[in-house]
Amino acid sequence: MKRPHIFVELQKTPPVLSTPEAHIFEDPTPASTAQNTPRPTDDELWEIYEIARTAREVRDGGYKRVALQFPDGMLRDSPRVFEALEEELKRSPATVAPAGKVRQEDELVTSFTHLSTSSARTEQARENGIEKGRDGTAERVRFYILADTSYGSCCVDEIAAEHVEADVVVHYGRSCLSPTARLPVIYVFTSHPLDIPDAVQAFESTFSSKEEKVVLMADITYNTHIPTLHTSLLSAGYTRLLTPPIIHDPSSQIPNRELDTSIDLKEYSLFHISDPPQALLLTLSSRVREMFIYPTSSPAPSSTSTQKTIQANTAMTLRRRYALLTRLSTCPVFGILINTLSVANYLSTITSIRSLITRSGKKSYTFVVGKVNAAKIANFSEIGGWVVVGCWESSLIEGSEFFRPVITPFELGLCLQGDGERVWDGSWRGDFGGVEEMVGASSSKVGVDEEEMKGAERGDGVEDEDSEEESAPPEFDLRTGRYVSHSRPMRTTSSLTSPPASQGPGQSGGSTEASKVLTRRAKGDLVTVNGTVSPGAEYLRNQRTWQGLGSDFAETEASQEIEEGRSGVARGYTVGGDGERR
Amino acid sequence: MVNFTIEEVRALMDKATNVRNMSVIAHVDHGKSTLTDSLLSKAGIISAAKAGDARATDTRQDEQERGITIKSTAISLYGNLQDDEDLKDIVGQKTDGRDFLINLIDSPGHVDFSSEVTAALRVTDGALVVVDTIEGVCVQTETVLRQALGERIKPVVIINKVDRALLELQVSQEDLYQSFSRTIESVNVVISTYFDKTLGDVQVYPYKGTVAFGSGLHGWAFTVRQFAQRYAKKFGVDRNKMMERLWGDNYFNPHTKKWTNKANHEGKPLDRAFNQFILDPIFRIFAAVMNFKKDEIPTLLEKLNIKLTPEDREKEGKQLLKVVMRTFLPAADALMEMMILHLPSPVTAQKYRAETLYEGPPDDEACIGIRDCDPKAPLMLYVSKMVPTSDKGRFYAFGRVFAGTVRSGLKVRIQGPNYTPGKKDDLFIKAIQRTVLMMGGKVDPIDDVPAGNILGLVGIDQFLLKSGTLTTSDTAHNLKVMKFSVSPVVQRSVEVKNAQDLPKLVEGLKRLSKSDPCVVCSINESGEHVVAGAGELHLEICLKDLEEDHAGVPLRISDPVVPFRETVTGKSSMTALSKSPNKHNRLYMIAEPLDEEVSKEIEAGRISPRDDFKARARILADDFGWDVTDARKIWCFGPDTNGANLLVDQTKAVQYLNEIKDSVVSGFQWASREGPIAEEPMRSCRFNIMDVTLHADAIHRGGGQLIPTARRVLYAAALLAEPALLEPVFLIEIQVPESAMGGVYGVLTRRRGHVFNEQQRPGTPLFTIKAYLPVMESFGFNADLRSHTSGQAFPQSIFDHWQILPGGSPLDATSKVGQAVQAMRKRKGIKVEVPGVENYYDKL
Repeated sequence: MKRPHIFVELQKTPPVLSTPEAHIFEDPTPASTAQNTPRPTDDELWEIYEIARTAREVRDGGYKRVALQFPDGMLRDSPRVFEALEEELKRSPATVAPAGKVRQEDELVTSFTHLSTSSARTEQARENGIEKGRDGTAERVRFYILADTSYGSCCVDEIAAEHVEADVVVHYGRSCLSPTARLPVIYVFTSHPLDIPDAVQAFESTFSSKEEKVVLMADITYNTHIPTLHTSLLSAGYTRLLTPPIIHDPSSQIPNRELDTSIDLKEYSLFHISDPPQALLLTLSSRVREMFIYPTSSPAPSSTSTQKTIQANTAMTLRRRYALLTRLSTCPVFGILINTLSVANYLSTITSIRSLITRSGKKSYTFVVGKVNAAKIANFSEIGGWVVVGCWESSLIEGSEFFRPVITPFELGLCLQGDGERVWDGSWRGDFGGVEEMVGASSSKVGVDEEEMKGAERGDGVEDEDSEEESAPPEFDLRTGRYVSHSRPMRTTSSLTSPPASQGPGQSGGSTEASKVLTRRAKGDLVTVNGTVSPGAEYLRNQRTWQGLGSDFAETEASQEIEEGRSGVARGYTVGGDGERR
Repeated sequence: MVNFTIEEVRALMDKATNVRNMSVIAHVDHGKSTLTDSLLSKAGIISAAKAGDARATDTRQDEQERGITIKSTAISLYGNLQDDEDLKDIVGQKTDGRDFLINLIDSPGHVDFSSEVTAALRVTDGALVVVDTIEGVCVQTETVLRQALGERIKPVVIINKVDRALLELQVSQEDLYQSFSRTIESVNVVISTYFDKTLGDVQVYPYKGTVAFGSGLHGWAFTVRQFAQRYAKKFGVDRNKMMERLWGDNYFNPHTKKWTNKANHEGKPLDRAFNQFILDPIFRIFAAVMNFKKDEIPTLLEKLNIKLTPEDREKEGKQLLKVVMRTFLPAADALMEMMILHLPSPVTAQKYRAETLYEGPPDDEACIGIRDCDPKAPLMLYVSKMVPTSDKGRFYAFGRVFAGTVRSGLKVRIQGPNYTPGKKDDLFIKAIQRTVLMMGGKVDPIDDVPAGNILGLVGIDQFLLKSGTLTTSDTAHNLKVMKFSVSPVVQRSVEVKNAQDLPKLVEGLKRLSKSDPCVVCSINESGEHVVAGAGELHLEICLKDLEEDHAGVPLRISDPVVPFRETVTGKSSMTALSKSPNKHNRLYMIAEPLDEEVSKEIEAGRISPRDDFKARARILADDFGWDVTDARKIWCFGPDTNGANLLVDQTKAVQYLNEIKDSVVSGFQWASREGPIAEEPMRSCRFNIMDVTLHADAIHRGGGQLIPTARRVLYAAALLAEPALLEPVFLIEIQVPESAMGGVYGVLTRRRGHVFNEQQRPGTPLFTIKAYLPVMESFGFNADLRSHTSGQAFPQSIFDHWQILPGGSPLDATSKVGQAVQAMRKRKGIKVEVPGVENYYDKL
């Protein structure tokens, strides 16, 4: 669990504002661990941030404007990385800059970044190369530090990068490797140290049989150690190990790892170095036989005791997810929460989700709120549940402090499936690749359902022209065990908006115009906006007691009756209507 | 063969004065279904030979196997009176002809199925209360009788199993009389406790003909009236006078040939008239037949004018006894007569039941229609339960027409339990496909059914979960929602063995919750499908149905668990304060316990959020000592807007307060649904809003700022007010012989039970022990009790109240309660430690 982790950490320090700040800014990605570690030396910096490789790729790609994106925990290193990159590029023959200028710029950068981290963290891209640009040549490569990300630091913030018209983004730290839409990206995973012998020992204590089929996998930031670990394990006698290489495909069998599709993962166990984020944990553990985690977060891996591997147990988490999505199956109004602006085909996914929701007779509203937190989404109390369209790692937002459940597109697909089809076998995916398939698959089914229902309704009973339409049956709410009416408010739309077919053939265009002038009020008295039923407006009308100023007058006691007072001038007032003067 | 046709029944339906809707109610094993059999055999539905063994109204296989009734079953019968003279005895109501339609519902007696009884009582006007001669009035007799009177249902009583008293106990005539009179007295004590002015005095008296005596198993029964009729001619006195003489301290002095009320004549004791004229012939038959005095029998039969068929004459012993008694005093005649003469017709009953049945004003067209039982008024029909059809997954909606006429194809408004007039929630419009007559396990189609009758409806089952109101009037309110005497306090979670079967399980759960009035099927926060029932037996039956019938897939069923409630036991030690995320809004609150009486009233629906706030405030102030201003400013009930937690506004002159009310109420519903200790619902807490500071700009005090804050401040207030857990407690009544009492006490003590009442049944060695037993400790109690009393103790348990789980504070992880809380949190997959108050409380 990520959130409690953050929480505990914040509780150690005395609260500054009496409430932990976590209530204001909640970052779904894991908190950085490098808070108190000493600053890396220059050599380490070069190594960790892979300055040479980055500079080479920038040079080879011929990029002129480069955005450097750091996660919050690494921001303090950003000026030095900036500096190092400048220096490295300077060495190449193409760009030569006066030495004095560099010094001066350093200070500038440092002050800027400090400002941006310590002050209110607004979304921004700090432009650092302004002065440089005036006297530098056109060939000069400019670097920009993106100080704060709009959604999650695991994703490439393309929008912020586009503000500075960057050609390429260098992404530091752990990444969700979601494919991007607009810009090329250079990933620097900022490798963390790993105690290889200890890991080997842990591996051996976990898997006693040398024949065991094991997939060896590490968190992105530890991935560089995999080959070394692999060789030392091979020498230890293990024969059936798999080390899938990294690719950019969250929807592959093991997210972001290349694997032969013929392999049946269910036969394999998985040895994962470092705690994976929750979404990855759920995905992986549902696909492999067993999953073991070699934790790296505890401070003293080099101490005498060997780290114990933890067997991942996600059954409970999955069950809670199941509870969430089943309780949303009768929810009439969904909010689509856009939590990314850069993952490839997020727009088409939103369209698919929207049509999926509409097709099941429910209403959806689309929201962009920046980083998601409980307060922001509790502002829309008419929304029954939220779907997050984000990178595959950050879509899974858990937390009891959310007023309404937040689910992923994959879960939405399950949730909108009828109770008669929903199967929960523990497989889980975080990416939204599957949504479009689901739209295709369910469209035919839903269509059939509707047809059947209409047929059935026509079948029973005598149709009465004047009377109200027969209603659709209510649905069983699994959470409360009761029936819920109006769980599909949009199902009635068609009958409200489109005129009855019987009017059609005999009438000319003129009369249809006339029929628009005189519209019959829907008898159901549903609130409509532009002719369509609006559950949001309906909510405002029915559920809210506060209807604006004046609506609470009814409750107050009647005031005294108004009596006519005196009028006139001081010489003699007129009292009442009888004209008596006093 | 069935001796009536559907056409005849239909014709009788129009004569509402000649309809009797009645249910058979009693304690478990007192012989309801067996007695019902004799009525069915009279109607030709089952043969006379089978009556008493067939239990024809136990239509399910497991009912037959276990020998208990699980579902209530309705059946329509045709009955008539022999003589026009009899019509004169129908007092206080009109009749039309000698033919009658009797709609009879046989109900289960086991406490776990009390909800079935409630559903049956709602649609009937009279009740046949069956009491065992030997066991007398038991806990369930009392419960169902109380419920019947609450619904304004008139009772008549039959004292059953008289044969056992004669054959097994060999009691004397006078002892039997005393036992009868004691039983009747204890029934009357219950009746007079729940005296209802409108219903009038409904105590039962043998000399009025409202008590019968008999044996369902042997198929005989009699009323005093029947014997009075026989002797009236002989003595040449009026029948009604004779009736009065045949019960109580009335004696016939053979020497003076005079009636007297003195038990002695010149020093010699006299036989009580009841003994002499009624019990004596019966005792003689028993003695003659059971002692195989072959020569005496024919003379006796001749004297009593009993004619037997030649085959029957050949029989011996019990078989002969059965035939003789059945011919002498057929049970059906006695029961039929008692029901027709003394139970009200719908026309009579609805006059006084209308106001208790209807939620709306007493002068609108719907209520007037009900009052007059008018078949031409707008339709008012109450569906009280769902009966499974042979078509899997479909149900008959079983109910009663209170006004108007229902016919196939009629388009009706279906109003669910949450419907409020003028709103669209829980309101559906649908045509009724077919109307049917319920005939035990079978149905017969019928075109239309007028007011006052019981029927089944086809085609509306999808719209109602368990019960609801059907009407054709746009303005009609609901018929009152039934309140059950049992609560679903025992839970088990189910999961499928094979993941692919999940849809079937879900579908099965839906069907299960429809088929039983009480069961609740839901998903808890940790994703388990939970089935909750009234007791272990109830749950066992439900789960068996689920596995074998409704879902039809193999299931894994967890051990029973008990739902808890979170509450507070003191006033918050200081005012809780929470700030909104933006720090611009502050809420100040205090939690305190709500009186147990108030909570009970809320749960019973007598204080509800739907009441007029002024009337509610009056009740709270007068009966529960609330401050009137506070009582008027109850913002809401929770959880689910009707639970037993209250949010009270005690602020003074706070600007914009009305604007944030919705947000705070949302937060309150949320917090009261998932309490701070273990995400269990809260109960019996009162939260007072002490003060509120709000930002001047509306945008900074929106729902996003206030809903989470309201929840946090409620949690803080609750955690500061000595929180505790509540566990459900059963009231257990055990009938046990004195010799086995030690075992009972031993078992109860080991299971945290405490005995509060112990009584000997006069004239028997049986003791009745009443005790409270936590539901948590009740699993396996019955088996335990049986083994410790060598099967001599019979317990009946019914949910009674909530009590604080003893053993320390839930916040202290080392205490027993604290450990229970941690186990609960672990099971739910949430952080094991209870978050402390500092997580919710903000310093100023």
